[in-house]
Amino acid sequence: MTDLSPLSALGDALPLTIAIGPLTIRENAGMALASLTLRQGSGEPQPFGLHLPGPGGWKATDGIAAFWIGPGAWMVEAEGRAESDFAAALKAEARHCSVSEQTDGCVMFEITAADAAPIRALLEKLVNLDAQGFAPGSARRTGLEHMSVFVIRRAEGHLALLAMRSAAGSVFHAIETAARRLTAA
Amino acid sequence: MTRLSGGLIDRSKTLRFSFNGQGYTGHPGDTLASALLANGVRLVGRSFKYHRPRGIFAAGSEEPNALVILRGGARAEPNTRATVAELFEGLEATSQNHVGPLGFDLLAVNDLLSPFFAAGFYYKTFMWPKVFWEKLYEPMIRRAAGLGAMSMQPDPDAYDKGFLHCDLLVIGGGAAGLAAALTAARSGVRVILADEDFRLGGRLLAEGEALGDRPAPDWVAEAEAELVSLPNLRILRRTTVFGAFDHGIYGAVERVGDHLPTPATVRQTLWRITAKRIILAAGATERHIPFANNDRPGIMLAGALRAYVHRWAACPADKVAIFTSNDDGHRTAADLVAKGVQVTAVIDPRRDAKALGQYPLFAGSVVTDTKGRLGLSHVQITRDAAPVWIKAGVLGVAGGWNPNLHLASHHRGRPEWSEAHQAFLPAPAGGPPGLTVAGAAAGQGTTQAALMNGAEAARAALADLGISANLPDLPAASDAKGNQHPLWHVPGKARAWVDFQNDVTVKDIKLAHQENMRPVEHLKRWTTLGMATDQGKTANVTALAVMAELTGQSIPQTGTTIFRPPYTPVSMAVLGGGDTGPHFRPRRLTPSHEWAAAQGAVFVEVGQWMRAQYFPRPGETTWRQTVDREVLATRAGVGICDVTTLGKVDVQGRDAGAFLDRLYANPMASLKVGMVRYGLMLREDGHVYDDGTCARLAEDHYVVTTTTAQAGPVYRHMEFARQCLWPELDVQLISTTDAWAQFSVAGPNARRLLERVVDGFDLSNEAFPFMACAPLTVCGGLRARLFRISFSGELAYELAVPARYGNALMARLVQVGADLGATPYGTEALGVMRIEKGHAAGNELNGQTTAQMLGMGKMVSAKKDAIGTVMTRREGMLAETRALVGLQPVDPADPVTAGAHLFAEGVAQDTWSDQGWITSACFSPHVGSAIGLGFLASGTTRLGEVIVAANPLEGKSTRLRVVSPHFVDPEGGRLRD
Amino acid sequence: MLIPHPLLGPRDAQEFTYLGDASLLNRPDGMAEGALPAFCDYVYLRDNPAGIHRELWFHEQGDRSWLVVTRNTLTHEILGAELARDVALRRQK
Repeated sequence: MTDLSPLSALGDALPLTIAIGPLTIRENAGMALASLTLRQGSGEPQPFGLHLPGPGGWKATDGIAAFWIGPGAWMVEAEGRAESDFAAALKAEARHCSVSEQTDGCVMFEITAADAAPIRALLEKLVNLDAQGFAPGSARRTGLEHMSVFVIRRAEGHLALLAMRSAAGSVFHAIETAARRLTAA
Repeated sequence: MTRLSGGLIDRSKTLRFSFNGQGYTGHPGDTLASALLANGVRLVGRSFKYHRPRGIFAAGSEEPNALVILRGGARAEPNTRATVAELFEGLEATSQNHVGPLGFDLLAVNDLLSPFFAAGFYYKTFMWPKVFWEKLYEPMIRRAAGLGAMSMQPDPDAYDKGFLHCDLLVIGGGAAGLAAALTAARSGVRVILADEDFRLGGRLLAEGEALGDRPAPDWVAEAEAELVSLPNLRILRRTTVFGAFDHGIYGAVERVGDHLPTPATVRQTLWRITAKRIILAAGATERHIPFANNDRPGIMLAGALRAYVHRWAACPADKVAIFTSNDDGHRTAADLVAKGVQVTAVIDPRRDAKALGQYPLFAGSVVTDTKGRLGLSHVQITRDAAPVWIKAGVLGVAGGWNPNLHLASHHRGRPEWSEAHQAFLPAPAGGPPGLTVAGAAAGQGTTQAALMNGAEAARAALADLGISANLPDLPAASDAKGNQHPLWHVPGKARAWVDFQNDVTVKDIKLAHQENMRPVEHLKRWTTLGMATDQGKTANVTALAVMAELTGQSIPQTGTTIFRPPYTPVSMAVLGGGDTGPHFRPRRLTPSHEWAAAQGAVFVEVGQWMRAQYFPRPGETTWRQTVDREVLATRAGVGICDVTTLGKVDVQGRDAGAFLDRLYANPMASLKVGMVRYGLMLREDGHVYDDGTCARLAEDHYVVTTTTAQAGPVYRHMEFARQCLWPELDVQLISTTDAWAQFSVAGPNARRLLERVVDGFDLSNEAFPFMACAPLTVCGGLRARLFRISFSGELAYELAVPARYGNALMARLVQVGADLGATPYGTEALGVMRIEKGHAAGNELNGQTTAQMLGMGKMVSAKKDAIGTVMTRREGMLAETRALVGLQPVDPADPVTAGAHLFAEGVAQDTWSDQGWITSACFSPHVGSAIGLGFLASGTTRLGEVIVAANPLEGKSTRLRVVSPHFVDPEGGRLRD
Repeated sequence: MLIPHPLLGPRDAQEFTYLGDASLLNRPDGMAEGALPAFCDYVYLRDNPAGIHRELWFHEQGDRSWLVVTRNTLTHEILGAELARDVALRRQK
């Protein structure tokens, strides 16, 4: 085990959790990520028993989840396994596919609320996604203030937002500002 | 008595406000305009050119005259229409465009000189003498230009933006809009109802008529209560939909906090609305009738007067006259009489006009003049050439109604003239797809027609989407027609105003006709009619009708000008969407940013990135000192630099090598596993696009790097090649720029430093030679990748770890390498060292250079097809002689200036003698002078020659010696140690 | 504008980067006879029609697919969109 200490994407020793009105925003620094892309002639694998979702979808099972990122390409999530070499583990599950480590490629914010209303209100301020058509099990990449972000609707009251790790501060500023304005209004 | 009974104002609360320093009171529900009128104030401003006294003309956003500076200090906003400014406690407003008090404007002298200020005067005056233009005329014009003045202070308010999606967007919350919204929302579809006013109801709030058995405002309140209760309907009040864009996308501005003394959260929000169907129910705007001296304070649109009386219980004078060419003006007269206001005359050009109430009717007559410079006092009525003067403090003018079809015309839809309506109606085809028009905006302006038309339009729009909707029960309402008589202006000698805001008269239109500026687009621009902040809403149709009379063409033949967004002015702040200052655009930080900041590094913007530029130490007073130290320390010991920002692309698949062979000019498929190769990427036109490295980690796995600036474009280019050009190749790509923190470790002690962090990895020159690469672990098991590549020319490596560990690794390397002279260095030192080595970077790869010019012509393989290689063989490209050279000043104290152009000594410095240019320059502590790289005609055969670098902006020239671009370690021995 | 992505449905044009005429798919063979004049045409000549245009869009803030979009340059009506990869593969047959 290395003796180097990691930093969160926002540059702190510990990842941030903050409550703003009905919304809680938490940096999920424990989530491992790896991309999985089909090669020619390789069938669609079922890594860790997970059926890979179709375009615009997100599927989860037992701590592992995947969302579609392009034709024949997915991002696989593994809760709590960020310190491990998850890409190697995934490659073992999908030998004939191209796998690349993505854990520190993204900052991941989990945004939760007691019900759907604050989540929908936040979505309509941040991204040009039809909140109504973005039911649990949906995942899309879209633009947020000139940055690319992945948006995942994990549940009625649970959204995940992934952005380039290097832009974590800018993305957080946008989320926080929108959340504060919704609360004050 | 200027405050009447009734009205939709809350008399239980009193609001204090000031206008030009004078205190007044009003009530919630008042606008600034209605409150001023209720206080008997008629004079509110001075006209643009002639500085004539002006008063409130309309009751909505079409207002041309009553423009004030609202609020003070940093929040002062000029050109605010008093007719839409909601009254709040403590509101301060000042009038615009006068020198001296409003009642005694010194610039009113312009009115006396008006013959010289007719339309188009600026094309003919201020021409002579030429020298006066810059010194006198321009400053004069600039001072006189514009209406209000800005605060010149930073805007303290916040702005926001958002995205809405719906099945039906209803624009306008009047009779038609409410009926449409009820119909649609009750069917369950998602509806957005937007209205620019702070209350729903439109003209229903301005009339005294009943809807069924109740006053119209009561029906509105009931409809609103139902709409508010429906979860699938969203009401946007104070929201102007300003433009119809492609594919059902509409722009809207919600004035969230304009009506508050200070906004609670944001001031305004920009909404991007995507709708499947749209109903434009924006109503109609009344037009006036130009006659001599028709612009005095107190002269207003009759429909506006009716609104002030009903909705705001205000009438600024005891005696009112009405000039009308239709029946609607008579309704105003009848309503005024019913409210106890004395109507001294109703003047109607129709000889068979009938009175609709008890008031003196002057049929077959026109208004031919007025008196009362600072406020109307008398009106001259002429019938059969016999004029009489009657008293009036207010004159309501009713010239007909123009449907507000602007948004329906935003896609070049040309409105159609209707003889029956004496107005333009929305074109039946050619407007924004999915948009239909309803109510007064479609020429269905009676209350009953508007209600039914709105409901039917909603039903039809939903049917289009495959959804059935029931028509609601609608109350009985007035269906009185207007019976419009065409009277476009009253002919006469004195000036008659058409466009009040830009001070354009009927005479100006005649002048335009005389000067052959007859097509409406020329008329508009030559006279500036319709070009002010109100965009001629109350003037345009009248103007083109006057032009039609002059040319003898019909009104439809004359046509309208093109309609463009925004419908009403939109602030730059809200278009900006809200982010200002450091948050104006995204900022990307490198993994070691925290550590660098703690060291006191100075940062520089590199695109969206913040990179450490240099690391000053105590005692260093200039950046040069710091950078010189960093360069010397790296070449003497070991330096560490965060190079994470360079683009990294993961390339995998059976055909990864073949793919890279086509992307790069030099061979890549032949690269051995465990090795790295420099990659030269061309554009298809043969010029150099980007460069980087390809590292082969496995048979089917490469990691490719790009320059920082081109990371995005190169990735796009690679996906284009993969998906569009060679889809048959088995290759997969994904960006990994952010995932891996990457550090350059460079200098004679680089190997010794790395030995202290890698876990049992053989770093000897034999085991890990120049251009090798491998995965490994560092610092007790952290997964990492090591590449032995050098940008600096020193013995160098790049070490990559997962980004979350980048900060700690940087600190560790500096710490354990202290005795080896480990020195953090930034982008400045990085730049100096690569220039000292003659390595090309962005400046040399500016899109205008070729492999041949860079001395890399032989790298372009003729044995394979790759992007750009064919076009490098064009005659012109091959004939190019400019080549990369090093440059050193003959006098070591002289600078080398990047961008300077190169000439032979003693030759005139002109385009024909231009021999090249300097691409990069820096001070080299190793050479002891400034040095540079550049492209020079036949440069490689001219080593030792002295040439001249020209700096014509400062009138300077520098003598430079042409040298090899490899200033340090030209044999490259250090790299391979 | 809304681009009808074949897999994701209508997406706002803001998510895309525009490249140009879909004739860019017809890259000549760089090793063939007469490659140079063929490439000159390929790189520089465009029809630039006022009307129906087949063009390449990159879904940069989306699934990173290249699309061939058929659009009327006068009215902006979009008549269809397909994955460029499919168009390119068909072309090869």
